Amino acid sequence: MHHYQPQDILIERGEENAPVVRRVLQRLPQLPVRLVDRGSRPSTESLVDPFGAGKKTLLFTRNRSRFLEHCPAGTPGLVCCNYLVVSLISNCPMDCSYCFLQDYLANNPLLTVYTNVDDLLGELAAVVDRQPWKQFRIGTGELSDSLALDPLLGFSAELVPFFAQRDNVLLELKTKTDCVEGLLELDPQGRTVVSWTITPAEITEAEEHGTASFAERLDAARQVERAGYRLGFHFDPLIEYPDWQAGYGRTIERLFSAIDPRHVAWLSLGSLRLTPALRATMRRRFPHTRLLSGEQVRCADGKWRTFQPRRVKMYRTLSRWLRRAAPSVPVYMCMETAPVWEKVFGQAPGCDKDLAHTILSPSLTDPATIDAP
Amino acid sequence: MPSTLPAVGLYAEQKRLSQATLARWRSWPTTDQQALLTVAQELRLGENHLRDFLDWLEEIVLRDGGSIAAVLQQPAVRRALKLGRSRNDKLKAVKDALRRLRYPEIARLEHELQTCVKALALGPQVRVAFPPAFEGDEVTLEVRVKSAKDLDAVVSRIRQRLTDGTFQRLFELLDEA
Repeated sequence: MHHYQPQDILIERGEENAPVVRRVLQRLPQLPVRLVDRGSRPSTESLVDPFGAGKKTLLFTRNRSRFLEHCPAGTPGLVCCNYLVVSLISNCPMDCSYCFLQDYLANNPLLTVYTNVDDLLGELAAVVDRQPWKQFRIGTGELSDSLALDPLLGFSAELVPFFAQRDNVLLELKTKTDCVEGLLELDPQGRTVVSWTITPAEITEAEEHGTASFAERLDAARQVERAGYRLGFHFDPLIEYPDWQAGYGRTIERLFSAIDPRHVAWLSLGSLRLTPALRATMRRRFPHTRLLSGEQVRCADGKWRTFQPRRVKMYRTLSRWLRRAAPSVPVYMCMETAPVWEKVFGQAPGCDKDLAHTILSPSLTDPATIDAP
Repeated sequence: MPSTLPAVGLYAEQKRLSQATLARWRSWPTTDQQALLTVAQELRLGENHLRDFLDWLEEIVLRDGGSIAAVLQQPAVRRALKLGRSRNDKLKAVKDALRRLRYPEIARLEHELQTCVKALALGPQVRVAFPPAFEGDEVTLEVRVKSAKDLDAVVSRIRQRLTDGTFQRLFELLDEA
């Protein structure tokens, strides 16, 4: 895949000597750099595609609020897995047609990097070290891809050792890239899970612009697997298209012919979900996307999803295939209701803690109940 | 870049359509612009209805290929346009026809469930409703009776349909779509 290079760099006054800034300036000495006052941002409003333009400028600033947040999937009415997120980066250099950031960051699209990693680590230590009996899962892939900028920023070299020292917390680095080089020399001590979004190759090619191909993701996964990392795979968003059964069947077969399921920490499923504003943005930015032409309906949380009987069929099919390929790996769903859980898995978790426990403590599934892809 | 039909601009002005809606319409090939204009004039479409037409027509063509003009020439749409009823009835019929083309699986499920509800033959005192947009897993039965005798008759019919498997079929349909 083509690795990201910004067109220009903005540094908030006072952050010029932050380690991450110095690293980037050393790696990209030829780029124009401007110092800006706190809160001052060049306007992208008059541009035809402000969101796309925002990705080309790298802004360094401090995060002045809390880093650690609950994953937004914890919406009332939806089954939640108690996942926590931290964001060191806001926006993403890649450009998936379905990306929720197009809507979420519409007014603040500059690719922003927070310089105060120490504050983040301090905040994390205060939370997880105070509750050593409690297990945490924390991801960095909410407001950006966890690894897309790693060759430039090198954040993983600060995060992975921090998590390696603690046995009550797992770090998840979620990505659509093959930017794993920075991970290979580190020792994760089993506390970092590197995970990939997986879609059939034809969907990756058509809808996940600028990301690594399926083959590149698989190759990267094998590299980190050999380096001692646990892996995760997210079939999220699940895309309904005419050949979805064949496409996903082939994908799962290829995945588990390359990856040893014993090294997989978790697998997840999640329907394509689009806010009305995101649908409008997708129409404008990606007029040829076929993702809006599925049979989607507006759900109780206001988001559009594939209509329930169809998505339940997709969940059931994929979960059967995944459990057959990786019987001991927990499979869970993201942002779904308890009735959908019951239809797919026969039961819904009693509470958030139950689901978090299931994800963290793999249980065996009876392979006799599982169909072939 | 497709050329713009002046009549489309005129229609947009008359109906005070938003710039965004007009720009979308104008981005189509002229034959498609004209085909929708004919329908819009016939049905006197305003901004909201027109936006549904734009969404559904574009999405059908993205999924199936072909042209918007060809979609509007589909027999179901033409039949609905020829209905000699009020503008509102005609609009509803055309939108229903387009919606069935846009959402064939949902339309098929709706049709099969409707057939199943008819087969239940529970009478006018019982209304069977499904969750909106098939989200959720509950089927609602609303019973309206004026006496205990009426209620007994309704309950007997419901019990009979439970025994003969018609209700089971209905739940299976919801589960298997």
